[in-house]
Amino acid sequence: MEQMLVAEAKDAPRAGDLAFDRLYRSSRDDVYAYVASLLRDAPAAEEVTAAAFERAYRKRNRFDPERGEPRAWLFGIARNAALDELRRRGRQAELTAEPADLHSFGAEEGAEHSERRLAVSAALERLEPRERELIALKFFAGLENRELARVLGISESNAGTKLHRAMTKLREACDGAA
Amino acid sequence: MEPRRDEDQLVADLRALRPTPRPEFTAELDERAAAGFPRRSRLPHWFESAPVISTAMRNKRPAHLGRRLLIPAGGLAIIAIAAVSAVVATNEGGSSAGENNAGSASTLGFLNKLDSDSQPDHSPSYSPGATEEAAPAGESSSSSAAPSTAGASAEIEPFGRSVARPHNRAVERSAELVLGADPADVADDSAEVFEAVHAHDGIVLRSSTREGEPGVAAARFELLIPSAKLGDALAALSAIDEVRSRHEATADITAPTVNVGELLQDSKARIDSLLAQLEAAETESEREAVEAELRQERRHRARLRSQLQHLQRRADLSRVLVRIETGAADESSGGGAWGIDDALRDAGKVLAVAAAVTVVALAILGPIALIALLAWLAHRAWVRRERRRVLG
Repeated sequence: MEQMLVAEAKDAPRAGDLAFDRLYRSSRDDVYAYVASLLRDAPAAEEVTAAAFERAYRKRNRFDPERGEPRAWLFGIARNAALDELRRRGRQAELTAEPADLHSFGAEEGAEHSERRLAVSAALERLEPRERELIALKFFAGLENRELARVLGISESNAGTKLHRAMTKLREACDGAA
Repeated sequence: MEPRRDEDQLVADLRALRPTPRPEFTAELDERAAAGFPRRSRLPHWFESAPVISTAMRNKRPAHLGRRLLIPAGGLAIIAIAAVSAVVATNEGGSSAGENNAGSASTLGFLNKLDSDSQPDHSPSYSPGATEEAAPAGESSSSSAAPSTAGASAEIEPFGRSVARPHNRAVERSAELVLGADPADVADDSAEVFEAVHAHDGIVLRSSTREGEPGVAAARFELLIPSAKLGDALAALSAIDEVRSRHEATADITAPTVNVGELLQDSKARIDSLLAQLEAAETESEREAVEAELRQERRHRARLRSQLQHLQRRADLSRVLVRIETGAADESSGGGAWGIDDALRDAGKVLAVAAAVTVVALAILGPIALIALLAWLAHRAWVRRERRRVLG
């Protein structure tokens, strides 16, 4: 459906604007979540998210539906923007994470949940940056494996395999922490 | 069943860890989305907040402006290069055409024949003020050696001074006129040529008329026309019949004229000196020696006078070759009415010039574009490598 809407953008600017608006509405928080997980810096993530949407908006007429889904295209732009930001700041992907905000998930939930999520967060930190990115794209941004593969420039089966390995490693890290 | 539950739990925990944007940020982003994501300024904050900076200045955004101007600037550069190339090509084409006109076979032959009588044109060095003797009587200017004074041009004097001297150039003019006529009209046209020449105080040096069929019947006239009346004479000759071609040429003969005048003055001074020596001679043998030298110098002076007169005549009288042709116009002459063939020929020339301009422009822009392309590809590859490196 989105593919169709963006394809229309080539024919009518107004329809293109509408299609992009829908893409924006459906992806805004996902893009932020993905970018924030890469940057580990909320203000920078806001900057980069806004810049990514601006860049995508400027390039919206160049989007080719035959080369992939609109969300994969948008996340590709966001990924480049985030990596550029990291490059600019001379920071590596293995940045020390911002301390997990325990208050965000520990207040109304039980202590067991809080501890478990803290353990997951710590385990996530111990993963390779690329593995962390896979998990962010899958569970923070909610991409399908097909879209995820398109963003990373790998095959869908390869993406599935890598994701499975990352999850296995994460689980082991969680178990180790426990 | 336990592992499945663990898996679901892990996914649930991950989703719970998902970063969420601040409501203020999402509201601001929504506004920008509604406004079509207007470009944000990349100017420094102090610049943005400075009260003296006008809104218009802030909206300039130099980086974007530069990028936006790149394509129009490139286009303008290409147009400028093409225009300059076209001007250069046109000038070169024009000058070569002029040379062809001046040097058409018949005209050159005619001019060479006229010059063969006496050709004293040395390659002199210019020396101002050395031509008093060469000047016609009544002219007192030190640079009046040139009897015919036409053509205004700048002259480089010694010590590099450039002075515009519009009235002291000796300019030799020549022209060639080709008329098209019916065979039956050749005789009448020839008579009119004679009338026109006499009406303008000209001289017919040689003439020949041949009657016959179209292409065979023809006439040829080698004329000398006073340079001051050349324009009128050509107009009168052109009115006789259909003009198929008309070429005019000029040659500046100021330098040889001035040089001969200088030599003449030297010779006069030498003669005066010899006359003084003759008066002072005491012995017969001494007198004879001086007289021999005096005779030789006088002969030399006579030759110089002759040369100077010849140069004056070349400037005073313009050589004109008139040919009357019958039959179809010669393609190479370019005369006659402008038709389809001429249009096609002209179009071909225009296309050739345009192709030449394009080749020149490509020769200039090609390497620049190639370098820019390589630089862009290198930058792109470097950026991609750096992005990969960021994630380890």
